[in-house]
This record gives sequence, structure tokens and C-alpha cells, in this order.
Amino acid sequence: MTGTTETNTANVNVPLRYTDPDHQDAHQFLVEEAATLDRQDFAGWLRLLAEDIRYVMPVRVTTARGAGFDSLADMGHFDEDMYALRKRVERFGTQHAWTEDPPSRTRRLVTNVRTFRTGHGELRVESYLLLFRSRGDTRDHDLLSAGRADILRPAPDGHRLARREITVDESVLRTQNLALFL
Amino acid sequence: MLDVAAVVADVRRGMIPAHVYNDPEIFALERDRLFSRAWVFLAHESEIPEPGDYVVRRVLADSFIVARDEDGTVRAMFNMCLHRGMQVCRAEMGNASHFRCPYHAWTYRNDGRLVGLPFHVDAYGGEDGFAKEGQSLLPAPALDVHQGLIFISLDPDAPPLRDHLGDFAFYLDLYARQSPAGLELRGPQRWRIKANWKIGAENFAGDSYHTPHTHASVVDIGLFREPKANKRKEGALYTAGPGAGTTYKLPPGDLTTRLRHVGYPDEMITRMRGAWTRAQRGLVENDGFMISAATLFPNLSLVHNWPKIDDSGTVVPFISLRQWQPVSANETEVLSWFAVDAAAPEPFKRDSYKAYVMCFGSSGMFEQDDVENWVSITDVAAGTMARRLNLNSRMGLTSAGKPLKPPLAGFSGPGTAYQGFGEFNQRHWLSMWGDHLLRPPPVHTSADMGAAR
Ligand code: FES
Ligand SMILES: [Fe+2]
Repeated sequence: MTGTTETNTANVNVPLRYTDPDHQDAHQFLVEEAATLDRQDFAGWLRLLAEDIRYVMPVRVTTARGAGFDSLADMGHFDEDMYALRKRVERFGTQHAWTEDPPSRTRRLVTNVRTFRTGHGELRVESYLLLFRSRGDTRDHDLLSAGRADILRPAPDGHRLARREITVDESVLRTQNLALFL
Repeated sequence: MLDVAAVVADVRRGMIPAHVYNDPEIFALERDRLFSRAWVFLAHESEIPEPGDYVVRRVLADSFIVARDEDGTVRAMFNMCLHRGMQVCRAEMGNASHFRCPYHAWTYRNDGRLVGLPFHVDAYGGEDGFAKEGQSLLPAPALDVHQGLIFISLDPDAPPLRDHLGDFAFYLDLYARQSPAGLELRGPQRWRIKANWKIGAENFAGDSYHTPHTHASVVDIGLFREPKANKRKEGALYTAGPGAGTTYKLPPGDLTTRLRHVGYPDEMITRMRGAWTRAQRGLVENDGFMISAATLFPNLSLVHNWPKIDDSGTVVPFISLRQWQPVSANETEVLSWFAVDAAAPEPFKRDSYKAYVMCFGSSGMFEQDDVENWVSITDVAAGTMARRLNLNSRMGLTSAGKPLKPPLAGFSGPGTAYQGFGEFNQRHWLSMWGDHLLRPPPVHTSADMGAAR
């Protein structure tokens, strides 16, 4: 049983102004990424990722205030490298990925974007995500609420996502599976 | 009005009234007759290694604090204050020497003993009004541990756990004891699915028939070679004691070759050779079967698979434990742990964890398609027509109820094993389920807290 430090503490540094071109680039990247995922263009999504991507979503847990951790350091809902993400995308491309056939209707609402310059020419971008998911005609919809902390790396034709840490706000997810990306 | 005897009689014929997968009356019987009696998994000792470590787990609506006290003893205590019933612990894990109730500050040590009661003399006149000495949070009526797996039963007259496990311990230990160090668990991932809890339990017990189709996509992408239909039907299905499981047939070879085939490094193979009995080794070495999915009645399942974890085709095995925690007739909380031999080398643990996250759990590529099926079944089992449909669960039997082919002769493990597809294991699970539903609930006494003695 090990935990990371508390994850719901906001970055206390001052983010870039909204008028800063780096912030605007980062914000636009996230909005375009959401549109790519919502139209289920997974191949297009993979092209936004750096080859050495780390894509993690730690399990959130309910702990006492002062326990010093509220997520598990050694267990995630996702803990992915490029191989694992490619396999997931490849699977959706087969005729046999039943869970998303018929597909979910999703809408990713991306807000509260804060951009920070790092020392290495990369951008650290924090955002809030509310993912609405509707399946079939008899089930209630699902909502996934999460914060995301990303590292965007400059590339000749824009940016690549080099790291994403997803801080999900539920300890017990209320969606049948994570056959989707956040 | 539910005729439970008729339902169980149908089940014993291998005909399953479809409504049992979404029926509040059935669910009430399961709560009162099954989960009030059966041994139910709560946690693993490796989740609470240090004195004061605790996790909070449930058996349906009953919350238990599973804690290791200062002497190292593991206890499960009903998470309800003796005074007015507040939950004394509202975190799901942590480390504490005491639990102080938020309502009126009664305080309990991590062994459950009531040690603090504000204004005991002023408010109660001391021991005469409330006998505090010797009071403690209600302990689970029965608690027992096997290979670090902590089980409780709500029936104080439950048989000893080891007696209950019976022949299934042989198979359970193949997962849980790859070395004397035993397992360490990580997690669990927890999520809720709109599916009846029985479906997952039955599926893991023996549904090798679904693998080639439901999981066709993971074969398509080359993640796991084995589920192809022809390979899957060469596996053996076994029932043993309160458990049942599936296996895969391995290519020819001795113990070492076959364990290497599924991705174990030699140092782990050496430890397995030492930790397993001759018969346990024989299952792999002589019979060529490797454990895959299994269910210990009622709601603990295990899985052991060996996918490819990188582009160079490295095969690495993983173990997962999962619990189908009933919420209602149509909802289940899944708790899914990654488990690994505590003595395994760190690189193996890292790779095995990667294999697990890709395949099972909340985002797992196997699990995704399983759950879609189970939610769909539950959804349509709620209606009127489902009460007119008895599902066929007779695979592997002739019309006269005889097995299509004889049990495997010379099988190294205990119990009964068949090679090929069949629903022997699901019928075995459902037969135990029927036994419970027909038994009246266990008798119990109520405990008066602190009343005059
Ligand atoms: S309910 Fe716990 S102290 Fe009163
Ligand atoms: Fe499955």
C-alpha cells in the first residue's frame, strides 16, 4: 500500500497569460485533440503523441486528510507506453471490439487550461476534462471528471503529447470500462 | 411471487430461468441466504503489511475495517460505532493506531477495543450505566486466512476456511503460492458495472467457449496467442470443492520449458518447482495444462494469462484477483487487483503489471468486451419475456444428462476435469448457488452494547 502525494493540489506557479502564444497553442492542441477523439479518429490521435509517451491514470482513493496521499503510486487505470496505446487503437480497428460497436457517443469538455513553460522548451499544460458518454438507448449516461497534467513537446508541425497524468475524481468509476481515452 | 424451489429445480436441470440475472427477489435471497453464510474474500495480508495498516471493505452493505493491530494480528471489525451507529472509519485505507468516531468521540484501538468514552462517569454513571470494559467493535463472526487471503463469514458457525476450500486449495495455491513468499497485491481498481454479479463469477469459473469469439480482437492484434478456438478447446475445465476453473494446453516440454513458454524467468521457475507439490507440478509437466481463469464460490475470481507486452513479442504472465461485489440485482462493483509473487524480481513485476493493465481491469482489453456482454444480458433479463425463457446451460451433456465424453483420466489435480468445451463449471457454481438459496438464513443473536450484565 503506497501512495503518491496528494494529487488535487493545484500548481501554485503563475501560468502564462491567456494572450501568450504558447498558451494559445497549448489550448488549441487540447481542443483539437478532444475533437479528434470525439470523432473516433484514433489513428489521428496517435499522430499527436510522442513516441516515448507516458500515459497514466492512477487509481484515486479515499484517505484521511493528512494521510499524505490520495492516489495509488503503483496502480493505475492506465499505465501506458506507445506500444500499449497502439494496441488499444489497433483493437478498435478490428471487426471484433464489441464494447465500442455500436460506439459510445462521447463529448469531451476541456476547460480551465493553465500553461507553464518548463526549462526544456516544453510546455506543462493543466486542464479539466468532463467526458460525457452515452451508450445504447436504455442506459443512463456516464460522466468522467478528471484533471490532466500534460507535457507538450514542440515539433516542426505543432506539438506532441509526451506525458499525460490523468487525475480522475472518483475512487470507484461509474462507467462500465475505459474503452476510451481521456 | 417467486417460487425459489422451482427456480433451483430448473437450474439443476441445466436450464437457467433468465430473470435470475436481474431480479430483486432473487437478490434479496442471495443477501439473506448466501452472503449471510458463505466465506467471502475481503483483502490480502500484503495490503496491510504494517501494524496499524487498514483497508475498509464490504460484504454487500456491511462495511468492515480490516486492520493489522499493534501485535500484527489481522482483524475485521464491523464499521459501525457501538453508540449511535456512525461509521468510525470513512477512509478506504490508511494507517491508524485508533479510530475516533466523528459523532461523539468514542474511540477504538485498531484491535477494535473501546478505549475512550467522553464523560463516562458524568453521562452514564461509569461502568454501571455503560459497561465499557471489554467492549469492542463487532468482530466479523468468522475470519480465516489462506495464503494471505483474508476471508470472513457472517455465519459464526461457518466451517473452518481450509475445510471449506477443500480440493480447490490445490488450484488456488498455484496462483497464490509460486514461492514461500506468497503474493503481493496492488490496487484494487474499482468500478461499477450495470451487470448482475453472478455473470462474471460464472464466466470466470468455466466459460472457455466465449474466449475465441468475445476476445477475438486481442488475437487479431497479436496481443495474446492462445484464445483461438482450436487452442481453447484443448484446455481442461476442472471443478474442485467450491471452485472451478479453466486451463490452456501448452506445447510439449518439461516443467521448465512450459513455464518459460508462458514467460516466467528461470529464478521464478526454480521457486515454483520448490513451492509446488508433485501433483501441482504434474498438472503442468505431465498433463501440459496451465491455469487460466477460475472462480472460488461465491464471488472471488482469478485469472492468469500471458500476453505480449512489447513489439519484440516478449511474453509475460500476470495474475489478477477480482471480486464481483453485489450492489443490487443489476449492479456490481468490480474490485480488480494485480497480484504477483512477492519474491519475483523487480523487472518481472514491472512487466507483469504492464501485461495486467493492458488485458484486465477497468481499461483491460479483455475485460472491456466481457463487461459489455454482461451489461447487455442484465439489461434484457429484467422484463416479462425473460421470465418465460430458460437459458440452456447444458453444454457438454447428452439429452439424458450424461457427459458427452468421460472425465479426463489421470488428471493430476483433484476434482473432476473435462477436456474441451462444456458448461460443467457453471453448473457446478449454480448448483452451490441453489443450495444456498434453499437453506434458511443462519440463526444469529443480537449483541446488546454496554447494557447491564
Ligand atoms: S455514534 Fe459514535 S460516538 Fe456516538
Ligand atoms: Fe472473457
